[in-house]
Amino acid sequence: MAPEIRRKPRPGSALGLLAAAAVTTLALAVPSQAQAQGDTIVIARDTDFNTLDPSRSWCDSCQIYLTAVYDQLVRIGKDNETLEPRLASEWSVSDDGKTYSFTLDPKATFSDGSPVEAGDVAFSLMRLKTLKAGASFLADGIESIDTPDAKTVVVHLAAPDPEFLGKVSSPYGAIVNADLVKEHGGTAGPDADKTDQGEAWLLENSAGSGAYVLESYRPDDELRLAANPNYWREAPAAGAIVMREVQDAVSQMQMLQSGGADIAMQIDPDTAETVGSPDVVTELVPSFNFVYIALSPGAKDLEVPLGPKVREAIGLAIDYDGLLEVTTGGAADLIASPVPTGFPGTKDLPMPAQDVDKARALLAEAGLGDGFTLVAAYPETNIYGVDLTIMMQKVQQDLAKVNIDVKLEPVTFAVWRERVGGDHIPLTAVYYAPDYYGSGQYANYFGMVPESPWYGRAGGETAEGLANGRMAELLEEVRTAAPEDAAELYHEMALEMIADRVIIPLVNPKLVLAYRKGIEGVRYAVCCNLPLEELSKQ
Amino acid sequence: MPLLLLGVATMAFLLSNFVKGDPLASILNERQMDNPQVVAAAKARWGLDKPIPERYAIYLANLAQGDLGVSFRTKRPVMRDLLDRLPATLELVFAAMVFGSVAGTAIGVVAAHWRNGPIDHGARLVALIGSSVPVFWSSLIALYIFSVKLAWVPGPGRLDAALAAPPPVTGFYTVDALIAGDWGTFLNALSYLVLPAIMLGWAVMGIISRMIRASMLDVMQQDFIMTARAKGAGTWRILLRHALRNAMVPALTIIGFSFAYLVTGAILTETVFSWPGIGSYAVNAARSLDHPAIIGVTLLGALAFLIANLATDIAYVFANPRIRLS
Repeated sequence: MAPEIRRKPRPGSALGLLAAAAVTTLALAVPSQAQAQGDTIVIARDTDFNTLDPSRSWCDSCQIYLTAVYDQLVRIGKDNETLEPRLASEWSVSDDGKTYSFTLDPKATFSDGSPVEAGDVAFSLMRLKTLKAGASFLADGIESIDTPDAKTVVVHLAAPDPEFLGKVSSPYGAIVNADLVKEHGGTAGPDADKTDQGEAWLLENSAGSGAYVLESYRPDDELRLAANPNYWREAPAAGAIVMREVQDAVSQMQMLQSGGADIAMQIDPDTAETVGSPDVVTELVPSFNFVYIALSPGAKDLEVPLGPKVREAIGLAIDYDGLLEVTTGGAADLIASPVPTGFPGTKDLPMPAQDVDKARALLAEAGLGDGFTLVAAYPETNIYGVDLTIMMQKVQQDLAKVNIDVKLEPVTFAVWRERVGGDHIPLTAVYYAPDYYGSGQYANYFGMVPESPWYGRAGGETAEGLANGRMAELLEEVRTAAPEDAAELYHEMALEMIADRVIIPLVNPKLVLAYRKGIEGVRYAVCCNLPLEELSKQ
Repeated sequence: MPLLLLGVATMAFLLSNFVKGDPLASILNERQMDNPQVVAAAKARWGLDKPIPERYAIYLANLAQGDLGVSFRTKRPVMRDLLDRLPATLELVFAAMVFGSVAGTAIGVVAAHWRNGPIDHGARLVALIGSSVPVFWSSLIALYIFSVKLAWVPGPGRLDAALAAPPPVTGFYTVDALIAGDWGTFLNALSYLVLPAIMLGWAVMGIISRMIRASMLDVMQQDFIMTARAKGAGTWRILLRHALRNAMVPALTIIGFSFAYLVTGAILTETVFSWPGIGSYAVNAARSLDHPAIIGVTLLGALAFLIANLATDIAYVFANPRIRLS
């Protein structure tokens, strides 16, 4: 075995020393064995796991993990739109929209072979709510859960919620093996936020009924999944999945080219263009993620009031097409409102367009023709292939054309969080990815109604006239609307948010799917980014 | 040493707690950060609802029992995180030190012997590139050439995904694989180690080669070298047995201090090579204001420097018997 490694130079020979260094270097450089072998699929990804506990999770990587290892009651189909049965083979909604009944599939079993029962569903959904962590807001509306028999679950909501099915289809609606989780400290009681101790165990074990089970997890290194031997649906093609931590896009691409990885998940369009290997496939696909700027009329650090005319002027001054080019080289789409194109109510929305003359006229009408200064603090990050600093530099250039002097202040996310929630930030930039398929999450998050997070961040409590009464009415109407009418109401809400001009979406970046030839089933899914159980290797 | 570590712990605690930014950003998702109930639950769970003096007292009490707290980010005990990652960093740093020291010494001796010749100029160029080119850039280029184009070495990582890590004894994959008698895993781990170690050790190699060259030229002028020549000793015997041993003393200081460089350089190298060590842990902790992890890494770093200085002092004694530790 590599005898050169042990070869020593003769004493007294300095040339021998040099030779030893060179030989050692070359001998160590043994040919790569890095080809991911057998039915193991290796994914290179800059992971962002905050935990593996389904009820505390919140991240893009978590979504991938939770749909591979756990099942939900229902799940979004391949069309990224239609709800399909999963653990629940049937479901119904009461006339008042407040009670959802699910019938569990009798075949469904957890990875330890025990059946999935109504008690497991009740425990999982109540734990999601009572832990007050992760995606607990998805279960906030649940008032109580009845389990009349082992295969029937009846969920009572405090108020009608037409998107409840969408919420439970989210990866965070994962159903855990209640007995196992309770045995290891998990609880779903009203004081679960203080007493639950299940997370430590769930970081090293899984308790689901999904296609895979957790084999090992080393934060910042790798997550290893093995096929679930007791999987109750068609067994996945790949026997094991390894998610390797690779932070840099170039390193991800190099790993893909050298065969060290089968799939690279965060290749930006620029890097994708540099691929020269015939063994690597890259595809650009539309995504539901978007990057936006937001104005805060109630921010303390404002030189002039950001009234409706000023906000409209800012929206009109931006060169949207140029932004797509500058940020992603054109590998992105325009987006009309803070609801991703393709979600209910987004059909035929007016796309934004630049109109510098009109912007100048509006500013003049507001008495600000000579311009003003605007502080723009934003998280210094690169998200979905968009570098926020580059994006904001372009915004700065565009606004300079209407005499608005933007002072850029890139900050860490922790500082941004403190400022946006504290004194608020006059102009900021941030991003959003869907939690589930449904437009309500956007209306409730971005709409100018007192309960929404962005109403608070925009300083709605101090800024005059920011509350949008019509938006509040629409949100109330949609609660009891029939599904076919809901899209129309969401359409109107999108128009209201466009008119408010507090949230101005800029870039809807396309996603680069990069994988080696022979890998099948790579697709972007709204449920979970990448459904692992569909992957196979030829 | 305990007092010094207490000082470091206090400074790290104060700095991480007074730095601008909300640590909840690493605990809560952006969607939940405006929900007062969720914020209150998170603060209570992580002790962030207590005043700083009380948190400091709790921290010190836990520290005295070897408990560094739980990481906001990984949700695991910081001590466990550090112990999991430390072997990876040490394996990389030791390999880089071995490469830098051996190659630097060899080049320094050869450059001194043929001073001002083409070999000397070439060695100077290699040293200059090593110490001036940013390691993240040179590492990416090296990965492209040796991994992607030539396929001599695998890409980022520490071991093939298809291989299981060897049974842990030292935490060094190469050593543990040898202990387990698993040559396949040993060679695989070695193939992953070689490129990051060379890239990290390159700058150290440059510094050591220049230091050895200068010391060798100085030593070669001394009387005992003349005596050795007069007694008929061969050129290489004089160079290696007589001159190099004396020239090594100042170089040992550099090798000792290079540990500091290598540990800090490992942060970038680990990021480019996806090496799961302390460096990448420190970067992620700092980015997310993970207080317990930041303090843990700081303490570990301080401890490492203290041990490295002690080891350098001891090495002097072996290199030059005239030096005595008092």
